[in-house]
Amino acid sequence: MLISHPKRADQGISARRPVRLIASVMVFAVVAIGLTACGSGSGGSTGANGKLSLEMWEGYTGVEASTFTHLVKEYEAANPGVTISVLNVNNDDTLTKVQTAVAGGSPPDIAYLYGSWAPNVAEIPQVVNLSNVVKRPGVNWDDFFVGERDVATVGNKVIGIPALVDNLAVVYNKKLFAQAGLTPPGPDWTWDEFESDALKLTDAAKKQFGTAYVTPESEDSVWHWEVLLWEAGGELLTPGDKAAAFNSPAGLKTLELLRTMAVEQHSMYLDPTDSEYANLFNSGKVGMLVTGPWDLSAFPNVNYGVQVMPSFPGSSAGHQTISGPDNWVVFNNGTAHVTAAEKFILWLTAAKQVKYFSLKTGDLPTRTSVADAPGFDGEMNKTLPGVSTFIDNLANVQQARPQIPTYPKISTALANMVVSVLVGSAQPQAALTTAAQKVNQILSSGSSG
Amino acid sequence: MTAPPSLLRRADATGGPQGAGRGRRRGASEHVSGWLFASPATVIIVLFGAVPIIWSIVLSFEHVSLGAGGRFAGTANYRELAHDPVVRQAIGHTFIYTALFVPLTMIIGLFLAVAMNRKIRFITFYRTAAYVTMAISTINEALVFLWLFDPSYGLVNFVGHVFGLPPQPFLNSPSQALGVIVVMTVWGWTGFSVIIYLAALQGIPQSVLDASSMDGAGPWATFRRITVPLLSPASLFLAVWLTINALQLFDEVYVSTQGGPVGATTVIVYYIYQQGFQYFNAGYASAIALVLLLITLVVTAVQFRAGRRYVNYRS
Repeated sequence: MLISHPKRADQGISARRPVRLIASVMVFAVVAIGLTACGSGSGGSTGANGKLSLEMWEGYTGVEASTFTHLVKEYEAANPGVTISVLNVNNDDTLTKVQTAVAGGSPPDIAYLYGSWAPNVAEIPQVVNLSNVVKRPGVNWDDFFVGERDVATVGNKVIGIPALVDNLAVVYNKKLFAQAGLTPPGPDWTWDEFESDALKLTDAAKKQFGTAYVTPESEDSVWHWEVLLWEAGGELLTPGDKAAAFNSPAGLKTLELLRTMAVEQHSMYLDPTDSEYANLFNSGKVGMLVTGPWDLSAFPNVNYGVQVMPSFPGSSAGHQTISGPDNWVVFNNGTAHVTAAEKFILWLTAAKQVKYFSLKTGDLPTRTSVADAPGFDGEMNKTLPGVSTFIDNLANVQQARPQIPTYPKISTALANMVVSVLVGSAQPQAALTTAAQKVNQILSSGSSG
Repeated sequence: MTAPPSLLRRADATGGPQGAGRGRRRGASEHVSGWLFASPATVIIVLFGAVPIIWSIVLSFEHVSLGAGGRFAGTANYRELAHDPVVRQAIGHTFIYTALFVPLTMIIGLFLAVAMNRKIRFITFYRTAAYVTMAISTINEALVFLWLFDPSYGLVNFVGHVFGLPPQPFLNSPSQALGVIVVMTVWGWTGFSVIIYLAALQGIPQSVLDASSMDGAGPWATFRRITVPLLSPASLFLAVWLTINALQLFDEVYVSTQGGPVGATTVIVYYIYQQGFQYFNAGYASAIALVLLLITLVVTAVQFRAGRRYVNYRS
């Protein structure tokens, strides 16, 4: 009984096998037809009403979204031949979605893409090279901040037009400074002052920290440190991006500073979540934060001031910062679409629209002519108190991250290095040596794999 | 075994060669209607299950760059994988996590299920409460645990402080972070194992338990020698199910530590995500994913083999 039972079952299955085979072939055929249908759809040329429809992917929310919609409507009213179909995509996911759409043959006409992706974006064949477009009269390419132009340019290609710019500065709690008997930081302050202020602002009994540092294993842990490296006179990579250059006295100085505050003096709150630091600052538990203008609206409970990044005493590199500009990228869906897309983003990023968008949203202006216009700082501070320091700080953007496709990998190696020092699991010099080895290996193994 | 009269009459009426022919036609139309019923689900499974798996097998033999499609790479991805220290670490972290998560979830689930398998007041409330953890989204769950385990402001260190324990760094410590993820996920999955065990417990006939106590077995002996063996099919199911889930840990890591600190919580699926969606190496990511598939198949096969020996239902 027990032995014959499995055999019988086997026979039953083999008798039905041909039917199964036919059925699965049919199913595959149906799927294949379905896939083909998906692939050939979209492309979105001229619509039924004779209007050209541009597909645009962006990730604005809140006041940015309403301001953007207003500008789109304004453009459509002035250009009756064009409609702009906007798809809201979470900015973090846009490149992945673009990747899929490109593979399926139907990329959007315009997409908002992070500047840190620029070298990867440049590898997509459907991305339109705008290097001749930005030379057109009236575009005034040099009016965009140099940090933005650097990120939009990969090799000899201009892969996009700057959509947003920001930078890092120090936001401090005025009340906590007064309570600790400290004078608020001035524009000439140094990291020595930052360190001693942080220690004086720390009160273990009140669970109050001098400052905070974000420690997820991501680029956010890295770019905060890259400013320190540049200010200490260091460089990330050797010229031509051939090898690691941060394993230097300057690099050591930066990691020792972080170690002193995080491990020895406990004046630095470490935030692996990358979000609690803002709540803690708004609750008066953190005295100083290195952060960008996007966080200011999260501090309604604090009377805060903003100051540029401190400099390293004795370093000639002075006060610097890092900027994370994002771009509007155009994809090739035929000449008519490309022409219309170029015209629209040039309008969107022209001085008038940049000024309107900044004043409404508090986002930093992407053009120097807007930033330098008399009275603009004051108007911006009405929208978002303290933001004018960030605008002025754009002048301190002197360097950009390396524009190479392997940067995301390098970023992980650097995040490991910074976090290992902050959590006390590695000494600064050992962390530098390990990270430099990893980075050299990444650079020597080339762009793919 | 006699057929109902109506059927017999039917069979008589359709006897002979024509009747047989009709029977065959009915068989064919049953096949068609069967496939019609099954086809929506089959299409979905093939489209979103089989096609991606086959595609990722193809990708794993390619170097894929953004948008430009793939270029054949032979076994380069697999050779790189064999020498990638992060892959080794990720597999190690995944195994440590699985070895902690699966037994803990099962033991705590069994304990709670036994405690709830009795007639006490508010039992429905307790049972619902145990299962509610399954209904809470992973993101919310992770955010709550981030607060509980905050080194400076969290409740866990506060309670520890009350009992005179030194504050722990938790997610800021490479040696503790994975433990926090284990606690987080055990909490989230215990409700599932409670429900499975509770259902299995209620399937154990009272007469068997009564017989055991009549033969002089105490409650502990009854539990160990009667209840636990009778629960073995449920245990096998939970072990397989929880292991497959544990090998695919991602959400909690993504929300809480992003693989850190210093790579301490980089598990296999998180590394696949990093390679695929942060470094844009879809080919290499696919190769790692296939290794994970193989690991899952082997582990599950071992579990079923062990199950054949220890599960007490087939005789």
